[in-house]
Amino acid sequence: MPVVLTVDPRSGVPIYLQVIEQVKRSVALGVLAAGEQLPTVKQLALDLTINPNTVAKAYRELERDGVIETAAGRGSFVRGNGSIESTKTAATDVARDAIEAAVREAKSIGLSADEIRSLASDAIDRWFREDA
Amino acid sequence: MSTISIKNLRKTYGPYVAVDDLSFEIPEACVFGLLGPNGAGKTTTFKCMLDLARPTSGTVLYDGAPLAPQTLERIAYVPERSVLYEWMTVAEHVEMQRRAYTKFNLARANELLAQFGIDQRKKARALSKGMRTATMVALAIAREADILILDEPTSGLDPVNQRHVLNLIINESARGATVIFSSHQIGQVERAAERIAVMDTGHLALEGVVDDLKADRKIVEAILPSETFALNGLAGDPRISRLDRNGRIVRALTSRDAQDVLARFEALGASGLRIVDLNLEDIFLYAVSPSDATADVVEDR
Repeated sequence: MPVVLTVDPRSGVPIYLQVIEQVKRSVALGVLAAGEQLPTVKQLALDLTINPNTVAKAYRELERDGVIETAAGRGSFVRGNGSIESTKTAATDVARDAIEAAVREAKSIGLSADEIRSLASDAIDRWFREDA
Repeated sequence: MSTISIKNLRKTYGPYVAVDDLSFEIPEACVFGLLGPNGAGKTTTFKCMLDLARPTSGTVLYDGAPLAPQTLERIAYVPERSVLYEWMTVAEHVEMQRRAYTKFNLARANELLAQFGIDQRKKARALSKGMRTATMVALAIAREADILILDEPTSGLDPVNQRHVLNLIINESARGATVIFSSHQIGQVERAAERIAVMDTGHLALEGVVDDLKADRKIVEAILPSETFALNGLAGDPRISRLDRNGRIVRALTSRDAQDVLARFEALGASGLRIVDLNLEDIFLYAVSPSDATADVVEDR
């Protein structure tokens, strides 16, 4: 199984959310391709030394979000049909969380909406300059 | 089937109250971590669960029924202190277990003892503390029990074998066994346990699903407009379980809805708002230690 997930159980972020985030990220980056099989709940729990019910919860939510599908007795797979859609969704989810955190931080230290917008705009210009 | 319910459990030794009105439930196939400072009552709770100590009042029910001999056969117990016979070899302990329990898996016992690097020809008295723990854990796992009660199952073990024990616990849970274990190493509980209970001086200080506790319990930090700024009503907010204030800085420990609490501070005109995640160790320490007495505003419930 090519999936290499790492979780930090000592962080204050719930472990199941870390698993969800990592799987979505792997799908977004194409590390996990459409149709690819995920480790079984038990295997991932043992690989990461985390609780199996916690892994099962992450898989259930990933399934609900349309990122993976589970075939009874065969295991869990990255959604095949509409894979571009699920890749896009996963990428958007990961990016949204990062932007939310940045905006929250900027707001908390007293920046106005316009100031944050201007910073974001500068950053976008910088990162996409070479593409133009 | 193996749901364990502890209801209003109380155990006193003379004037000493070891366990006080303890109630919680351990669902089937759950790994349940029992945490608490020394003397919190964890071992007494285990003994009451096994009828090794008679509760002063309250009940322990297995799938709704009190502990029966046939239930006891389905429970594997690793006590905190070694119960190995000093003069017997490990192999003799294995043989004793094999005779005592019909379901005992001899091949599994041999495999586990080998994994721990234990020479079965050794007498128990020649084993280190960690190797005694490992031997007892191996014998317990080989019982293929429905319920495992493990009191400090990693004590004395090196990090590699500690990790091995955690994976054995995870494996037992994955095959459907219900596991309750105690440990002073919160990081281990954080990994292996789905649910926890924190005991403090005999009573239940906190209980819940580890991931839910992490999602709900946050520190909301804010900087108030002035040192004398009144925090009217905040101390009574049911979402805030503790409020510490030091000059203009205020920290609220939330029991849920940290975002809403943050919004409330924002509405008061506070700045520098942020939400800080808490790991299990932080959550544990908040549960067992009283509020900071030097804070201007102290609320603990």
